[in-house]
Amino acid sequence: MPHSATSPPPRAPRRPVRRPTALLDTRYQVETPEGIDLLLRPAGLVSRALAFSIDLLIRGLLLLVTYVVLGLLGKFGMGLATILLFLVTWWYMVLFEVLNQGRSPGKQMLGLRVVHDDGTPVGWAASLTRNLLRFVDILPFGYTLGILSCLNHPAFKRLGDIAAGTLVVYRDTLPAQPSLPQAEPLVAPFALDLAEQRALLGFAERGASLSAERRAELAAILAEPLQVPHEQAEQRINGIARGLLGPT
Amino acid sequence: MRLTDASVAIRPRSPWEALDLGVLLARQHAGLLMASWALVSLPIFALLCLLLWDYPGWAVFAFWWLKPAYERLPLHILARALFGDTPSLKQALKALPGLLRPQLLASLTWRRFALTRSFDLPVMQLEGLSGQARSQRLVVLGQRDAGAATWLTVVGMHLEMALWLGLVSLFYLLLPAQIELDWSWQSLANAAAGEWLWLEHLSNLLYVLVLIVWEPVYVACGFTLYLNRRTALEAWDIELVFRRLRQRLGGVAYGLLLGCCLLLLQAPTPVMAAEVGNHPLPVTDPIGPEAARLLKQPLSSQAAQDSIEQLLDRPPFEHRETVTRWRFGEDEAAHAGEEPISGLQEWLQKLFKLAELWTGNASLALLFEALLWAALLGLVAVLVWRYRQWLDAFVGRIGLAQRIATPPSRQLFGLEVAPESLPADVAGTVEQLWAEQPRAALGLFYRALLSRLLHDYRLPLHGAHTESEVLRLIQDLDQSELSSFSQTLTLHWENLAYGHRLPPEDLCQTLCHDWRRLLEQGVRT
Repeated sequence: MPHSATSPPPRAPRRPVRRPTALLDTRYQVETPEGIDLLLRPAGLVSRALAFSIDLLIRGLLLLVTYVVLGLLGKFGMGLATILLFLVTWWYMVLFEVLNQGRSPGKQMLGLRVVHDDGTPVGWAASLTRNLLRFVDILPFGYTLGILSCLNHPAFKRLGDIAAGTLVVYRDTLPAQPSLPQAEPLVAPFALDLAEQRALLGFAERGASLSAERRAELAAILAEPLQVPHEQAEQRINGIARGLLGPT
Repeated sequence: MRLTDASVAIRPRSPWEALDLGVLLARQHAGLLMASWALVSLPIFALLCLLLWDYPGWAVFAFWWLKPAYERLPLHILARALFGDTPSLKQALKALPGLLRPQLLASLTWRRFALTRSFDLPVMQLEGLSGQARSQRLVVLGQRDAGAATWLTVVGMHLEMALWLGLVSLFYLLLPAQIELDWSWQSLANAAAGEWLWLEHLSNLLYVLVLIVWEPVYVACGFTLYLNRRTALEAWDIELVFRRLRQRLGGVAYGLLLGCCLLLLQAPTPVMAAEVGNHPLPVTDPIGPEAARLLKQPLSSQAAQDSIEQLLDRPPFEHRETVTRWRFGEDEAAHAGEEPISGLQEWLQKLFKLAELWTGNASLALLFEALLWAALLGLVAVLVWRYRQWLDAFVGRIGLAQRIATPPSRQLFGLEVAPESLPADVAGTVEQLWAEQPRAALGLFYRALLSRLLHDYRLPLHGAHTESEVLRLIQDLDQSELSSFSQTLTLHWENLAYGHRLPPEDLCQTLCHDWRRLLEQGVRT
């Protein structure tokens, strides 16, 4: 049948394939030239608003104290206080961000820091830009534009951040030393990829925070591939996790 | 609920990150959430306004009080959207009456002021718990993330206020200047109910509009916080990977089984062996690799090609960006008004006033001014020092060629020419020496001449000059007598120094006389 090559054959009705779309996640990937993905975790509105409030409070107290003290010096003191007001208004954030690894006191308390879009430490130009443009974010009153921009941006940037190319991220904290339950180290009976190895280790590490029933339920999922009865699955998984961890 | 269908990345997060995920989730379904919220809340607000027209404050208070009732709809939408089953607007609105029924009274009365409202809502609405079971569940869930839920509500209240004030001031800013409204606060405050009622209702409406933006985010944040807590408590992420692992291994096992069966089935039969010769040999395709293949299969080569092309058309294989720039329009209206100038004048006047204020407290102000100037000068100095090499390299060339005042050399042609090394009366010493040591005498004379030229006439002599070059320099001084004197002296000095020919006897008198006349008196006086 030579014609069949030119006319497209009737397609078999296909099941609608679930396209593996990217899952919604708060992580932000930066790919280095070496092909390594750096994972940054941009910080959203609530934590940033709290950090800003803390900074505002600190600045307010600072100015109050200096005004009271310098007020005793009369007009000269007021002049000094005016200069201080300028410094605190425009340079407080910039100085802290550039000289303190992107952390103003408020951000430090909330575990945040400012970095460039590519994850490098924030510099003078970017920090100045993002802080000078607060005056755009404030418009028309009380950070309205900033809030809306922060809610609408996938990496939670306000306008100043967009202009300066900066990102507010959560600092990475040192993970605590995990404690695995005692078990005989075992070699997994099948090949495991990275995510699966992590899940097995996670099961062993987080066992203490799960209820016994839930642990058994989770382990039962793998009972069949491990070819053990359901009751022994948990012990077996803990053993494999020990084996993955290696001698400690 | 199938975890594998979840449209968000499930992993244990910090509470703050869980809130951020809520913002993203609300953003993804923003249209649906905001539309449904508006469709529910705006009619209620309108109704309340009509009923309580004379009491705008009470109307908005009642509207605010009813917030937990509207919050159930966004949660319903989000919970279904999370597992890929996003309802349409119509479906969502139809579901609303059913959602309102359980525990509405409790939500609107004693639980109205719960600070973890959006975090608690899923327990009631999605788990369907009530009474004792609900509170126990809340205690378990609230062990870790309740702090973040409280902060969410507190921050949310302030955000609502900030956005409302922002909208109000935007409204105020957008009033055309032509409308001569009497905006004095006094009159606003004094205005009795009546003429300003519509304004209060308008500002209430702005609050309702703000809620359309913020409330879906608030509900979504509470929901993701709840999900995060359950992910940590029940290890959802681990379950997800375990299930995938089982599926993968199960798939492999089935594949192996199938393969074995096929192998066993293919027992060689004489019929098949006989047919081998009849099979057409694979021929090379005349149309080439572009030809359509695999036409009998659901996935034909054409379809595969298409999907590959599609894939190659997207990042990271393809990088497209749209660049938008501002540029000037064709006809620029010349708006050289006078306002900026008057503004400038005003500004200057203010500046002068400020200056007058300063002069009032003269001494301190002076000190202060001095400090400021000092700071400015210091800054300039620091800058100049910082960029001194740059200035050397680029600015120095632009300026005039700098005359380098080097100190006159102390030695020329191996002769000591510093004035201190000469005797006080040169001519006298020469006369004494002439008879016995003519060489020393002429040498002293020449040395003294050079020294005078260097220090009195300031001729730029240095060690590289020859005698004749020195003479030429002297000629440039335009003093004929000095020039002829030098020529005579140099001639005889050269004759003596290099040729060992003694000068004539009478030369001494002429030279000494000339010396005294030209160099002792001519310059010194």
